[in-house]
Amino acid sequence: MAANRWLATGNFFTTYQEEQRTFITSLDRLIFSLFLIVLFIWPIFFSVSRTYMLVVDNILVAVIAVLGLNLVTGFAGLISIGHAAFMGVGAYTIASFSRILGDSHIIITHFWPLLIFIAGVAGAITGAIVGLPSLRLKHLYLAIATLSFQMIFEWAIKFLTFFNQGQTISVGRVVWFTGEVGRNDHYIFWYYVALVIIVLFGFVVSNLFKTRYGRALVAVRDNDRAADAMGMHPGFTKVYAFALSGFLAGVAGAVHAFLYKGAGIESFTLHHSITYLAMAIVGGLGTLNGSFWGPAAIEILNLQVEKFSEYAGNYLPSAMNLATALRPFTFGLVIVLFLMFEPRGIANWWRIAKSYTKTWPFRY
Amino acid sequence: MSYFFQIVISGMVVGSIYALAALGLVLIYKSSRVANFAHGQIIASGAFITYALTVWAAIPIYISFVMSMVITFLLAWSVERIFLRRLIGEPIISVIMVTIGLASIIDGLIYLTPFGTKNFSFPTFLPPEPIAFSGVSISWTQLVGVIITIFLIGGFSWFFKKSTIGISMRAVSDDQFASMSVGISVPGVFGLAWAMAGLSAAAAGGIIGNITGLNFDTLHAFGIVVFPVVILGGLDSILGAVVAGIIMGLIQQFASGYIDGNWGLSGTGEVLPYIILLIILLIKPHGLFGIHEIERV
Repeated sequence: MAANRWLATGNFFTTYQEEQRTFITSLDRLIFSLFLIVLFIWPIFFSVSRTYMLVVDNILVAVIAVLGLNLVTGFAGLISIGHAAFMGVGAYTIASFSRILGDSHIIITHFWPLLIFIAGVAGAITGAIVGLPSLRLKHLYLAIATLSFQMIFEWAIKFLTFFNQGQTISVGRVVWFTGEVGRNDHYIFWYYVALVIIVLFGFVVSNLFKTRYGRALVAVRDNDRAADAMGMHPGFTKVYAFALSGFLAGVAGAVHAFLYKGAGIESFTLHHSITYLAMAIVGGLGTLNGSFWGPAAIEILNLQVEKFSEYAGNYLPSAMNLATALRPFTFGLVIVLFLMFEPRGIANWWRIAKSYTKTWPFRY
Repeated sequence: MSYFFQIVISGMVVGSIYALAALGLVLIYKSSRVANFAHGQIIASGAFITYALTVWAAIPIYISFVMSMVITFLLAWSVERIFLRRLIGEPIISVIMVTIGLASIIDGLIYLTPFGTKNFSFPTFLPPEPIAFSGVSISWTQLVGVIITIFLIGGFSWFFKKSTIGISMRAVSDDQFASMSVGISVPGVFGLAWAMAGLSAAAAGGIIGNITGLNFDTLHAFGIVVFPVVILGGLDSILGAVVAGIIMGLIQQFASGYIDGNWGLSGTGEVLPYIILLIILLIKPHGLFGIHEIERV
């Protein structure tokens, strides 16, 4: 153990266990704990309007989804253009319960954590099934296979009357220890739920890469033949990557369904799959904190674009809807610019900032 | 029986348009190994440029059709030059995402114009009454569209078989290092492939616009529907694109003609290509005419 537990300078490791700790210094742990505490208590001190709370909730749901997408695309290197469909599987699992039992059945109102878990399992099973082509396919072919899953999913939901042909299926309000979560507390309540899920899975994912199962993903991404020679089964590893990502997507979809008090196909289209992919790339593929930066950046960008077009709309002929034009334009521009100039995403800026402040005022 | 032949005819028409649309994708993939997810948007822009030139600038449609092909040729070339050239050698996910980003940018630009939200249709310049032959009919627009498609695909095939530039493009798709060593500019060939894809996309857009009318959603949906077509035909085969385009057109028309409405099914024409796509990917990923280069894991 190094002499000073608080500073990164002069720190060295004598065992592999030490190197693998989540927090290298006590300072890291302290800052992270403070950050978590701030995340948990800020809604108590600042009252945010429902509109903005919904944006925050959207970011958190997207974080859960992108965490899953990052597992399959960032760490395992399998391009998935069907992530919104996996989310849809989760959301529609909840919706099916609501459809069969009625939207305020006791199972939905009281046992919703169980339902979220079941939605995750449904997502994982679907993920594993869709991942089966990855036993044979790579790269572009796999991307197209997931794309076709997305299209088939959309068609199936729009076609089946059980799923209300893509129209919203309502899901009732849930009950917490303090009673039914009302209209005013709804968004704050789901903020906390999503936050707890993110913290939980954030640690799960970060610890996953200290185990053989997580390292297998990276090994298969980097060189599947070498991984095969090391005794891993590349095919099963890929299927299992898809299942993991499907689980997180299912959970995200379930939270989305509860948050919006319903599931409709318009939240799980190809466009959303592409948005999640863009979030993962803008955040930084194959990095854990990228899964947090990306959704925040894209959602805030969307918000600003909408604000701007509302503002600019006052000076333009009313027939023109600037937001419909500007939203895809800025979205595409951000993706392209990031890929051209910062392919490692915002996580790279974070890494630079961190390594700079850690050794400050010394340069090394 | 005439119902059957009518479906065959409309399947051939749709199929030949798919073939033309898929051609652009194949051209780009063949030379630079890039799957272009912005192809639908390029098709749409080609159609809209044709419309703007024909109606707003009052240029005869035959000239404006060619002019829009030239304009889209230049546009697609500059897209490659500005965005894609920096990404040569980058991982495939980056390249795919750049084309998706491009699709989004073009979407935004088109939504700025009236084309994004309103529907337009070309002025009729051909006899409006269809050619009827014992109960089977085909409209003049469709017939002319198919003829133009056949000529264009023939022209492209000739270009690749015989012309020096076409042969150098084939050389690049075979082996980039070897082509560089004999003095072929590989980035130049990539640019040219994009430009020619743009040209074929503009032609496809013009023909689709004349047959179905100009609706942005329908037009850019072609960019996704061509993927089943090119996978079925083999990603790097022009002949494959043509054959698979026609097969896919026939399948779609037969599905909507015979399956829809029975057994409570509807919209099967939209989903069947993707189901076929999945099956093809599982049993024969290189398609009908593609090169066997899939790595087994």
